[in-house]
Amino acid sequence: MEVVVLFTMVIGLMLIGVPIAISLGTSSIIFLLVLSDTSLASIAQTLFQAMAGHYTLLAIPFFILASSFMSTGGVARRIIRFSIALVGHLPGGLAIAGVFACMLFAALSGSSPATVVAIGSIVIVGMREVGYTKDFAAGVIAVAGTLGILIPPSIVMVVYASATDVSVGRMFLAGVIPGLLAGTMLMVTIYIIARVRNLPKGEWKGWGEVRSSGFEAGWGLFLIVIILGGIYGGIFTPTEAAAVAAVYAFLISTLVYRDMGPLHVAGEGKNLALWSKPHALLTIFFHKDTRNTLFEAGKLTVTLMFIIANALILKHVLTDEQIPQQISAAMLNAGFGPVMFLVIVNVILLIGGQFMEPSGLLVIVAPLVFPIAIELGIDPIHLGIIMVVNMEIGMITPPVGLNLFVTSGVANMPMMNVVRAALPFLAVLFVFLIMVTYIPAISTWLPTMMMGPEIIVR
Amino acid sequence: MAHAYEAKTAVGRIVNEIEETAIAVLLGLMTIITFINVVLRYGFNTGLIWGLEAVTFLFAWLVLFGVSYTVKVTAQLGVDALINLFSPATRRILALVAGAVCIAYAALVLKGAWDYWAPFAGLDATSGRWFPTGFENSRDQAWYEVIDIPFPEWLRWIEPIMNEGESYEKLPRFIPYAMLPFGVALLLFRFVQAFVRVWIGEANSLIVSHEAEDDVKDVAHMNAGN
Repeated sequence: MEVVVLFTMVIGLMLIGVPIAISLGTSSIIFLLVLSDTSLASIAQTLFQAMAGHYTLLAIPFFILASSFMSTGGVARRIIRFSIALVGHLPGGLAIAGVFACMLFAALSGSSPATVVAIGSIVIVGMREVGYTKDFAAGVIAVAGTLGILIPPSIVMVVYASATDVSVGRMFLAGVIPGLLAGTMLMVTIYIIARVRNLPKGEWKGWGEVRSSGFEAGWGLFLIVIILGGIYGGIFTPTEAAAVAAVYAFLISTLVYRDMGPLHVAGEGKNLALWSKPHALLTIFFHKDTRNTLFEAGKLTVTLMFIIANALILKHVLTDEQIPQQISAAMLNAGFGPVMFLVIVNVILLIGGQFMEPSGLLVIVAPLVFPIAIELGIDPIHLGIIMVVNMEIGMITPPVGLNLFVTSGVANMPMMNVVRAALPFLAVLFVFLIMVTYIPAISTWLPTMMMGPEIIVR
Repeated sequence: MAHAYEAKTAVGRIVNEIEETAIAVLLGLMTIITFINVVLRYGFNTGLIWGLEAVTFLFAWLVLFGVSYTVKVTAQLGVDALINLFSPATRRILALVAGAVCIAYAALVLKGAWDYWAPFAGLDATSGRWFPTGFENSRDQAWYEVIDIPFPEWLRWIEPIMNEGESYEKLPRFIPYAMLPFGVALLLFRFVQAFVRVWIGEANSLIVSHEAEDDVKDVAHMNAGN
C-alpha cells in the first residue's frame, strides 16, 4: 500500500513540473522520516556516497566527456561522409547512410538525443537536397537516433549495471548484437520502401572515397576499439576505459581533426598544422574550446547524476520497506510467470520512457523489477537489454516521446508530422522488441561466449 | 554555445565565470588523474594510491557544487508534457508550488548535510527530526580521516585548531565533506531565486524536458522553411 502512495507522490510531483531529481528526493525523504527511523543526516550521506561510493557510476562523466569532444570536434560530419561513401549508392542510399551513421555515432556517444542532434542536423538537410521528403528524413533519424542507448558504450547501461550490480562489460557486450540487428532491420526496411517508392539513390564514388573517408572517420571510430578492446582485453576497468577514451577524444579533436582548439581556423580557411604552431601542445589544455567542452559535459553530468543520486535515496526506501519482495510475492501468488512479468515490465517502461530521461527512469524501475526477475529465473543481462529497448521505443512513441521532440526541433517541423513519419519504423522496432524479449540468446549469447555464464542467478 | 547563460550584472558575470570554470576544472582533474593512473600502471608499474579516492571526492564535489548552477540556468530535467496543456495562469501557480517543493527539499537536505558534516568539523549537529530545534552536544569527530589521501604539509597549521594539536596522517574528513553543506546551501539559495523569478513573472517553469534543448536550438535554423 505504502508503495502506491510513494509512487503516486513521485509521479504527481513530476507532472506539476517539479524537477525529476527533486520529485524523487522529496518523496523519499518524507517517506523515510515518517515511516522509518532514518535521520536526515544519513540521507545526506546517501547523497554524498552516490558519487563518492559508486565506482561504476564514475564512468558516466568520462563517457559524456568523450562524446562531447567527439560531437564538437566534427566527428559526426566525417562519419556521415564515410557512411555515404559506403552505402549511399543503394536505393534509398542517403537514408540508409543516415541509419548507419547513427549506429556509428551511437558507438561513440551514450545518449539518444545527442545522436539525433549530431547526425540529424546534417543528414536531414542533405536528404532533402537530393529529393527526399522532409517527413521521411525526420522519421528515419528519429528512430535511428534511439540506437544511441542500445549500442555500447551507453550511459543507460552503466546506470543499469550500477543499480543492479551486474557487470558493465557484460551489458556492453550484450548490446552489440541487438544494436546491429536493430540497425540492420531499419536499413532493410528503408531499402524495401525505397524499392517500392523509387526513392533516389546516390552514385558510387569508388573504393578510393570509401578508403579516404574511412581513414578520416577512423580516427574517431578507433575510440570504439579503445573502449571495447580495453575492457575485454582486461586492460582497463570500464571507468578507466571511459577516462582514456575522453583523453583520446580530446587529443583527436584538437590535434587531428582540429575543428576546435588553438589550431582551428574559423570559417572556410584550412586548419593550422601542428608544426606551424607547436606551442599548441600546451595551449590545448587551456583553450576556451577545451574549457567550454569540459563545462558542457560537466553540466550534463551534474543534471544526470543529481537525478541518479536522488533515485538512490528512493532505492534506499524500497530496500528498507522490502517493497520488491512484497511485489514479487504478490505476483508469484497471482500465478504470473516470466512471460506475463515481462509484458508488465514492457508496459511500465513504454509509458515511463515517454516522459522521462531514460537513465533516471532506469534507476527507479531497475531495483523494483530486478529482484522479481531473478526470482522468476530471468537472466539479469537479458532483462537489462529488454529495459533499454523498451526505453528506446518509449522515446519515439506518441504522444510525448523525447526523441520526437528533439527531432521536431532539429528538423523544424510539427511533432505530428514526425510521429506519422516515424510510424513504419516504430513498427519495426516493436517487432524487434518482441524478438529481444522472447529470444534471450540475442542478448546473452555474446557475453556468455566471451565472459562465461552469468554469475548472478537465483 | 550560442545559448550560454547571460548574467545581468558585473558581479553576476564574475560569479558565472567562477561557477562554469569550477565545473570544467573539476571534471578535467577527474579525467587527468584517472588517465595518469592508467599510464603509471602500464608505463611505470606504479600508481597514485590516493588517485581513486581523490577522483570519487572530486566527482561528489562536481555534482554537489554544480547542481546549484543547473538550477540557476534552468537545466534541471523535468516532465513538461502535462503542464504545457494548462493556461499560463494555472501554469504559473503550478510552477510556484513546484518551487516551494524544491525549497522544502533543499531545506531538509541542508539540515541533514549540516548534521552529517558538523561532527567531522568538531561542531554540533542540530536536534529535531524534521526541523532544527537547537544544537545537540555532538561528539567531536574531527580526528576522522579519509582512507588514502595523505595530509598536505601546508595545511599543518590547522592541527592545533581542529585536532587539539594532534597531527593528521591523512586528510581529515571534514575537508572533502565540506562540499555537502556548502553545495546544498547554494542549492537552497538558487531555488529561492528560481521561486522569485517565477513569482515576478521572469520565468514560467523550473525545468527543461530534455538534455539537448540548447543544442536543438543551435541547429534548428538549418532546416528552417520548407
